Amino acid sequence: MATATLQPESELRLLEQVRSGDCDAFYELVRPHERSIFMAALAVVNNDADAEEVVQEAILKAYKAIGRFRGDAKFSTWIIQITINEARMRRRKDRKHLYESLDEPTNGEHEGDYVPKDFADWRDIPSEALENSRLRDALKKALTSLPEKYRQVLVLRDVQQLNIAETAQVLGVNDAVVKTRLLRARLMMRDALAPGFDGAWKRGREYEKVRPW
Amino acid sequence: MVRAQWFRLNSGQQTGVNLAKKPIEIDCVEVWRHISDYVDDEVDPDLRAVMAAHFKDCAHCSAILDGTQNVVKLVGDGKAFEIPEKTSQKFYAKLNEHLAKKKR
Repeated sequence: MATATLQPESELRLLEQVRSGDCDAFYELVRPHERSIFMAALAVVNNDADAEEVVQEAILKAYKAIGRFRGDAKFSTWIIQITINEARMRRRKDRKHLYESLDEPTNGEHEGDYVPKDFADWRDIPSEALENSRLRDALKKALTSLPEKYRQVLVLRDVQQLNIAETAQVLGVNDAVVKTRLLRARLMMRDALAPGFDGAWKRGREYEKVRPW
Repeated sequence: MVRAQWFRLNSGQQTGVNLAKKPIEIDCVEVWRHISDYVDDEVDPDLRAVMAAHFKDCAHCSAILDGTQNVVKLVGDGKAFEIPEKTSQKFYAKLNEHLAKKKR
């Protein structure tokens, strides 16, 4: 899968080509963002099959709406926003939102402080450890376990590397809400991945290795 | 700035974990509130200095900081959530269908 990012000038050139009727240029434009849009969809629907369908629909919608893209935002932010909206629509149709947390814009969140569950120390995990599929599976499982509103923020901010303002724009919330959710999401991920999550550390037994590294 | 002297939750509930051993400038709960901004370098310099001093004295908050930084680094790595080539090929199915209809 292509992951290379396009230079802004290449993106502009491709946009011009698409607007003048070159369909192939649209594929080139989207390809570097495939992972981002899939992860954005996954952050909302939380399963691969639904995310795949959301992405198909979002790419089609983006193609049809490309004439309205004026470049006020980055193309990546624009297509991620289309994807998030599409994913939310799908969830509403599926009525899954009745069972999971809100996706409504919120301007103030008062959930109290998040208290970490685990204080065990981590040694630095080198990125080479990601070659290990068990670590990747553990990360995916931890991400899937987050409530939706935290998962969305973590994916946009830390996986896609959008800044706070872009994340807020895509989710339709303010910067403060993004920061509050991000804090909780990161601490939840840490707890989900930290050693001793099985309670061994807290019970004072010899530590049972629950992480794959 | 909150200057509680000992680790204590807002509710007054103790964790049972013996945290900071001596009075410090900022309590652990306050540190946790700002730890994400600290990782993003989005706290003002005064708070950053106080937090940095706390991390030196408090092994538990230091562990939480390291873990949080690890999480940010790992999930931000392109290798963490790769999509199989086969899956990404399917992303264009509806667009292909739409364009094929237009050509007809």
